[in-house]
Amino acid sequence: MNIRKTFLIILIFSLFQFFSSISFSVEPDEILKNQNLELRARNISKNIRCMVCQNQSIDDSFAPLAKDLRILIRDKIIKGYTDKEVYAYLTDRYGDFILLKPPFKLTTLALWFLPFVFLIIGIFLVFFHNKESKKKY
Amino acid sequence: MKKKIVTVPAFIFLFILSIFFYLLIIERDTSELPSNLLNKNVPEFKTESLIKNENFVSSNEFGKEIILVNFFATWCKPCRDEHNYIKRFSDEKKIKIIGINYKDDSKKTLSWLENLGNPYSNIAIDQRGKIAIEWGVYGIPETFIVNSDGIIKYRHVGPITDKVYNKINLLIKEIK
Repeated sequence: MNIRKTFLIILIFSLFQFFSSISFSVEPDEILKNQNLELRARNISKNIRCMVCQNQSIDDSFAPLAKDLRILIRDKIIKGYTDKEVYAYLTDRYGDFILLKPPFKLTTLALWFLPFVFLIIGIFLVFFHNKESKKKY
Repeated sequence: MKKKIVTVPAFIFLFILSIFFYLLIIERDTSELPSNLLNKNVPEFKTESLIKNENFVSSNEFGKEIILVNFFATWCKPCRDEHNYIKRFSDEKKIKIIGINYKDDSKKTLSWLENLGNPYSNIAIDQRGKIAIEWGVYGIPETFIVNSDGIIKYRHVGPITDKVYNKINLLIKEIK
């Protein structure tokens, strides 16, 4: 396969990935006229978990509850809530689980640090194994 | 040293495996999330009442006795399935029950209650789902126990079954 063909396949695959990731779940009647406020609402929505689908953000989800939450976020922004206040409003009612990115807290320490601990253990094991192998041969 | 290098990771691996195994065998519904409103005051809200000729004001309803709050709708099949249990709470256990009619047609709800019986002392209309969000509801039916101080003590997601009915009765006895 020549470089041109390879490039073309990568381009088609990338475009497919790009367009398949575009979400059409936000309906026209939800969109705010003020672009800055709408952008804020979209950014918040991307970080909020759909409690029905659980692995999607409310920005991507078609669930009725996701739509209700998107509308609610826009209502709060129009009322003058800061982003932090909107997040606080949602976590007060649904807990931290509603945030797609878990907050850095005492209760989530293991979640944040265990991967690094395992990585260090892994590096150490590989290093030790190599050393032992060199000794043998 | 070499022995330790093998046994320590193996021990950690087995430990993690046993945690996963434990989580698999214990009886729990992975879709059920704990409520963040437990041990907090009931959210304040005001809306129309489905069965009374006055507004439903939450502060007038809660804080006097133990109340069951049931989010339901006529379009929700599990709500129909659990309706008998809701009636039993009201008829047999004499517990005050407040219904929150979620995104429903009022006429349909009234005829639904006429056919199946009305266990609710009052019903708040939640036409746009805003009250449900205030309560952290993510899928109906959901049932809450509110104590006589107006504090949420328990939340059940999904229809009430025999097992849940007994559990709620026990909890109510404890709260009393």
